[in-house]
Amino acid sequence: MVPSRLKGVQNSLDRSGSSTASAHRSTIRSRADASDRRTSGLHLPGALFLAPLCYLVPVIYLDHNATTPLDPRVAARIVEVLRDPRLQGNPSSIHGWGQRARAVVERARRSIAGALGAEPLEVTLTSGGTEADNLAIFGAVRSLRAKGGPHGILTSPLEHPAILAPARSLEAEGVPLTLVGVDSMGRITPEQVAKALEEGPEIGLVSLAAANHELGNAYDIPGMVAAARAVRPGILFHTDAVQAIGKVPVNFREWGVDLLSLSGHKFYGPKGTGALVHRRHLDLTPLLRGGHQERGRRPGSESTASVAGLGVAVELATAELETNRAHVRELLAGLRARLQELDDVRLYGDPESSVGNTLSVGVSGCEGQLLLINLDLMGIMVSTGSACTAGTLAPSPALLALGCTPEEGRAVLRISVGKGTTAAELDALVDALPEVIARVRAEA
Amino acid sequence: MGYTERVMRVVCAMSGGVDSSIAAALLQEEGHEVIGLTMRLYDADPTASGPARGRGGTCCSPAEIDRAKDVCAELGIPHYTVDERRRFEAAVIDDFAREYAAGRTPNPCVRCNEHVKFGPLLERARALGAEVLATGHYARIEDGVLLRGVDPGKDQSYFLFAMGADLLAHVRMPLGTWNKDQVRERARGLGLVNADAPDSQELCFVGGRSHGAVVERRARELGLDTEVLRPGTIVDQDGARLGEHDGIHQVTVGQRRGLRIAGTSARYVLRVLPERREVVVGDAEDLEASSIEVADLRRLVDLPARGELRAEVQIRHRSKPVPCTVTIDGELAKIRFDTPVRAVAPGQAAVLYDGDRVLGGGWIAGGEAGR
Repeated sequence: MVPSRLKGVQNSLDRSGSSTASAHRSTIRSRADASDRRTSGLHLPGALFLAPLCYLVPVIYLDHNATTPLDPRVAARIVEVLRDPRLQGNPSSIHGWGQRARAVVERARRSIAGALGAEPLEVTLTSGGTEADNLAIFGAVRSLRAKGGPHGILTSPLEHPAILAPARSLEAEGVPLTLVGVDSMGRITPEQVAKALEEGPEIGLVSLAAANHELGNAYDIPGMVAAARAVRPGILFHTDAVQAIGKVPVNFREWGVDLLSLSGHKFYGPKGTGALVHRRHLDLTPLLRGGHQERGRRPGSESTASVAGLGVAVELATAELETNRAHVRELLAGLRARLQELDDVRLYGDPESSVGNTLSVGVSGCEGQLLLINLDLMGIMVSTGSACTAGTLAPSPALLALGCTPEEGRAVLRISVGKGTTAAELDALVDALPEVIARVRAEA
Repeated sequence: MGYTERVMRVVCAMSGGVDSSIAAALLQEEGHEVIGLTMRLYDADPTASGPARGRGGTCCSPAEIDRAKDVCAELGIPHYTVDERRRFEAAVIDDFAREYAAGRTPNPCVRCNEHVKFGPLLERARALGAEVLATGHYARIEDGVLLRGVDPGKDQSYFLFAMGADLLAHVRMPLGTWNKDQVRERARGLGLVNADAPDSQELCFVGGRSHGAVVERRARELGLDTEVLRPGTIVDQDGARLGEHDGIHQVTVGQRRGLRIAGTSARYVLRVLPERREVVVGDAEDLEASSIEVADLRRLVDLPARGELRAEVQIRHRSKPVPCTVTIDGELAKIRFDTPVRAVAPGQAAVLYDGDRVLGGGWIAGGEAGR
């Protein structure tokens, strides 16, 4: 097992679970020359020395769908590339250093292609999953539209904003947009996709995620592709596999999709890396202009070290898939059973077809955000169902699509475990929850 | 402030400004476990330009939320944002529009303190396991009594009379014994990014816009009769027409500048008559009132249900307190000033003091002229 846990002293320093701890911080602070606070990093060792043991409570990270800790082997590869003076050339340069850097990038590209059942020429490197999704939606629809054929979009209300926002943006330009219906467990069947295509001759692109980020549902992408092609042989099919890679087997060729998005940091790789895998000669109008890189589909000098890290991460995710999958499934089965014993708690999503690391937990009468903050103050990091940016508290769009009320859509926690999670950590969560729920309900 | 106090978990309401930042820092220095909480109260106005946009209005705007986050990161305390946009709109912005449309001059800061800042935020604090809520107000709370802040230039007790007596035991205002210069000095010492940020003067949700436009837009959205906000006439006390005004919500009792009327003598707004869209003006001495009626009386100390008492009253922020006799009748009170007071604006707060001690207060319903 990889020691990739986010246990760390720095984390607990900023999240004091005990007031004595803050007392120590301030003691140390007040000793320092007030005008010299910018150098406060120097006080850290002192703080550690003085800190009582309870101050070093390990943090528990249960938000792997937001991001995963960097695998040390990935980090080692990134550092190796960063430290090698001969690898600092521009991968597009013709000279020796350029060629060496290019070799690193291409090796990573081969890793990605090999791990996902694609050809290296079918991999376009991006800055992450959001860019890959944007490139897929905007790029494919604009190319379809330029050819004058059907270019409408079929997607679902459960998709990530990186899909829905580009789709809405194109809709505002007049591109027809169809959202396939989902049931109360968030399921989508191949039959529904076929039916939507039969009723929608204007549709040119289908985009459906292989796994849902909030519910953890896994979808039958090969089945959907087959159903879609049976109705419309030439239809373009994109799948957002950001939440699937490293959790379930993903194979571009076997699935038969035309486009597939991935994001490095969701499978223990570096942030700021991702790729769009696409059929080799697929027309894709680029989002960015100004360079020939990535065969013009994505201009801009490649980040050699990050790309190298992505290559290692995707290799590890594939090679260790079954071990990791078995680990998280066993953990989650235990967690599911214990959560179901709590009062007024319900679990969303489809237990029959799940990526196995995610639980969407509805806690009636509780604002999910207040549960989250309470748990955070105890060193347990989870997420609410909704994207909570800059203090807006919108109900989770996914839960609304499942037919939940706005109140239910705000009363939800998302727990997502990873390969470093332990049963003891989940026990700590379940032990903490009743008190936290009672406290939040009392003030609701 | 007591170093004798035991250590506890404290939620500090942080606006992003220097005051609440230092309040948090002081509590942290006392050894408390401090959690920074910022309320998101309204959306940044994409139509605003210039400083209003760059700074995103004043406190609690998206830009200031980021500022509060920066400060908490500097202090090494956790920070969270809570969404209070709907509550703020209903309790403060809607009231602001309704009051102006009714010819009164609302006080949104008092409304915000009453309906948003204390009750709901204290509930959140308790839901987070905190015993007390702290704010960066310049006012003191000692033994369950609200007192003026010691900095006479910054004292904010006027805005706090409606916060609720039952909350006093659960709220801390560490800056009550500080003056602003000390606060800035401390902020510079801590290297806080907002140490020298200017004090907010305007209403937060109005930002760089004209408050008239805000009132008109919200009144329309609420389906209020916006006829009443159209331009009307300025008349003297005999009803003779002297000029025109841009709308009753653009003027306030006591106002002198900006009135488009002929003549050389100084004229002041005496009254606003919304049903006729008329603004009545007169001389300085006509502006004087000997007494006022106050509604919705709030008590921060034990005041009799009925009866008379001597006190001092302040009818606007930073005005000089005036000795008076208060006749209380349940939720209503009549306040007779010892010496006449000028420019009593209906809708503003009349706050009763005994020296530094805040007794309570209410909203001015109307005044009675006379010397």
